[in-house]
Amino acid sequence: MMRKIPAFCGSPDHPGFGRSSEIHRRSFIAGTAAATATAFAADMGGVDCFAQPSYADELKRDQKRVILLWLAGGASQLETWDPKPGRATGGPFRSIATSVPGVRISELMPKMAANLHRHTAILRSLNTRNGDHGGASELMLRGRRDDATLHYPDLGAMIARELGRADSSVPDYVAFYSETEGRRSSLQGPGFLGSRYAPIQLFEDPIPADLRRLEEITDVDHQDRERLRRLLSDRFVRNRGSNTVNSHNTAYDRVRGLMSSEHLFDIEREPQQVRDLYGPTRFGQQCLVARRLVEAGVPFVRVARAWWDSHGQNFETHLELVTELDHVMNVLLDDLQQRGLLEHTLVITVGEFGRTPQINASLGRDHFASAWSCSLSGCGIKPGAVYGASDPDGLTVVDGEMGAGDLFATIFHAVGLDPEKEYHVGARPVPLADPGTRIIQDVLA
Amino acid sequence: MEPAATTPSTIKLELMKDIGRKDILMSVARFAKSDRLLVGSSDFRLYDFDLASDKPILLAHEAAHESYVTGVAIAGSQIVTCGFDRRLIWWNAETRKPEHTIADAHQRFIRDCQASPDGKFVVSIGDDMVAKLWHGQGGEPMRELRGHEPMTPHHYPSMLYACAISPDSQHIATADKTGKIIVWRAGDGAQLVKLDCVEMYTWDPNQRRHSIGGVRSLAFSPDGKYLAVGGMGQVGNIDHLEGKARVEIFEWQSSVKTHIYSDNEFKGLVQSLAFHPSGSWLMAAGGDNTGFVMFFDLKEPKKSIRDEKAPMHIHRATLNETGDAIYAVGHNKIVKWKVSSVPA
Repeated sequence: MMRKIPAFCGSPDHPGFGRSSEIHRRSFIAGTAAATATAFAADMGGVDCFAQPSYADELKRDQKRVILLWLAGGASQLETWDPKPGRATGGPFRSIATSVPGVRISELMPKMAANLHRHTAILRSLNTRNGDHGGASELMLRGRRDDATLHYPDLGAMIARELGRADSSVPDYVAFYSETEGRRSSLQGPGFLGSRYAPIQLFEDPIPADLRRLEEITDVDHQDRERLRRLLSDRFVRNRGSNTVNSHNTAYDRVRGLMSSEHLFDIEREPQQVRDLYGPTRFGQQCLVARRLVEAGVPFVRVARAWWDSHGQNFETHLELVTELDHVMNVLLDDLQQRGLLEHTLVITVGEFGRTPQINASLGRDHFASAWSCSLSGCGIKPGAVYGASDPDGLTVVDGEMGAGDLFATIFHAVGLDPEKEYHVGARPVPLADPGTRIIQDVLA
Repeated sequence: MEPAATTPSTIKLELMKDIGRKDILMSVARFAKSDRLLVGSSDFRLYDFDLASDKPILLAHEAAHESYVTGVAIAGSQIVTCGFDRRLIWWNAETRKPEHTIADAHQRFIRDCQASPDGKFVVSIGDDMVAKLWHGQGGEPMRELRGHEPMTPHHYPSMLYACAISPDSQHIATADKTGKIIVWRAGDGAQLVKLDCVEMYTWDPNQRRHSIGGVRSLAFSPDGKYLAVGGMGQVGNIDHLEGKARVEIFEWQSSVKTHIYSDNEFKGLVQSLAFHPSGSWLMAAGGDNTGFVMFFDLKEPKKSIRDEKAPMHIHRATLNETGDAIYAVGHNKIVKWKVSSVPA
């Protein structure tokens, strides 16, 4: 068994303190002053800090990152990773051979098929038992069900906390969700880790609002104001000594960093050739931003592509959306690899559930969580691995049944985190991954 | 025999056959002056049904497709089928075996094939956005019709859903997902007219960010003057087929839209259109999670004159030569209705 690494708690005495993920700079600033007084009580006060910075630093030196491609609404496993051609449930699309002998995926994914051996493992045996958008999103974004006394953090918040760097000038967690359908379900948040690990949420705008310095204030003015504020604040601290005030100062330090990261969201700075590769769709453009963000050191980026909920016309919908996913995902993985980033970046492609093998009267597929698929690519993953199996009609898992917790344990392990690492909320130990879950070793490098 | 000049306002439907199936029936063609149907299935096979007997005889053709059989046509003595497997197959009607297979007739999924009334050629349409003409008997390629855009305005692959051939075999109409229709001259492949039914294409830019709809059916009137176009109106929630069933009619040579039928009780796609042989009314069939058959009188500019709920989502329907029987195939069913008139 791996040793347990005490949690890096984020207290002001330890690296990572002062990171904030408020959406807007001004609300961040305004909020911080008030928040610092109560933040630890509200957000972190319940978390006992067994912080040992050396462990945290050890983890963070690796610069691991995660991109989550969130297929909101539920993509069909039969039209992506687990086709069943020739069966009554199979639908009209054929399967095609991949670059991994004996492994076939939907013909809607020719680019991923050609490159499967390079980056990607397929998991075909998710049985998550929840076919409701809200509950399933919660489960697949947190890796466990909430309980009455504890609000768990989502994957992004945990990764932000574990892999974020205290000295980083970039955000720890950025989340895109442009479509309005299902957006609320995606807002699972940082739970007991506190708002410092909440994401910068981007909805319609590709660049965070209010990140830019006001035009009527010059950069020199802005820095002068900060120096004055720092002078006064330092004098205040000298006389009093207070973690809360330290928190306040660190938060202000963070503001300058966040402001300087605005350019990361601007794909106009990319060569036209690269932009063309990602293509003109918004999902493609957001994945290009995701690459820019992880390249700059952002540990967790979630790009949601909604909305896959094809109760009617499943095959027409998947013709559109899988074609886009196949192209964009393939370009993203290639781009990360060419930049030497894929070795350190895990790309997760998953939604809240899959879709029914049965085809309804509208040629649609409905919600289905009993036997569905996802993929893991890049960091820590054995390329070309296929784990688990569903039956010939895709109705049940027949090999390697796994749940959300198992997926999360595998994700943590892939990026060098111990899934059994514990936070302490009051006296209650809370491991990263749900207790009793297991790492799927077959897909790990 | 002259077609019965049924008065539209007196249309009556009587369900004659209702045959349950486990598969989804995607396409149908009928042998002339008979109750014998050829039906393309989601189980990749072509079936031969004879509805004349009390217990319909069902004969399966040899398995030769690798996907849904989306179109079937009878060209003289030849049977032609197409599918999502990109194949066009010419069959021997007697042995029910393939005689000639074109493995990659299109670069993408084939949506339909139709035989010209004179039996001289077959048109196939695919998501490569090309309509192809083939010799009706031998299957040799004759001509390609290119003009539909491969991508939607929103940068997603478009689809070429529907085609129809005029009764005199001189004109071909094709229609795509974005609501664009092109009428071509069969003889030389010239584009004659481009028409728009953009209301049938729903792009949701905010809530779900993908599309639904498209023109799903076309039919020339018996005199060749009118072109009927079927689909679905704008959709609020594109997770479902909840737009109103919609039919538009053009006097196509002048590009004038003469009729818009959208004010009806049914939701879903109009998958099939057929004019009564006399031209007096138009039948539209389709569905959402259930099915419908509607009838329109061209003298009545806005509303259907008769609506009938169908026992299944109808993927294809056809009228007989006298306009007094409808044969429909769809989700798990084959249905035959008798069409008659009653005194007003």
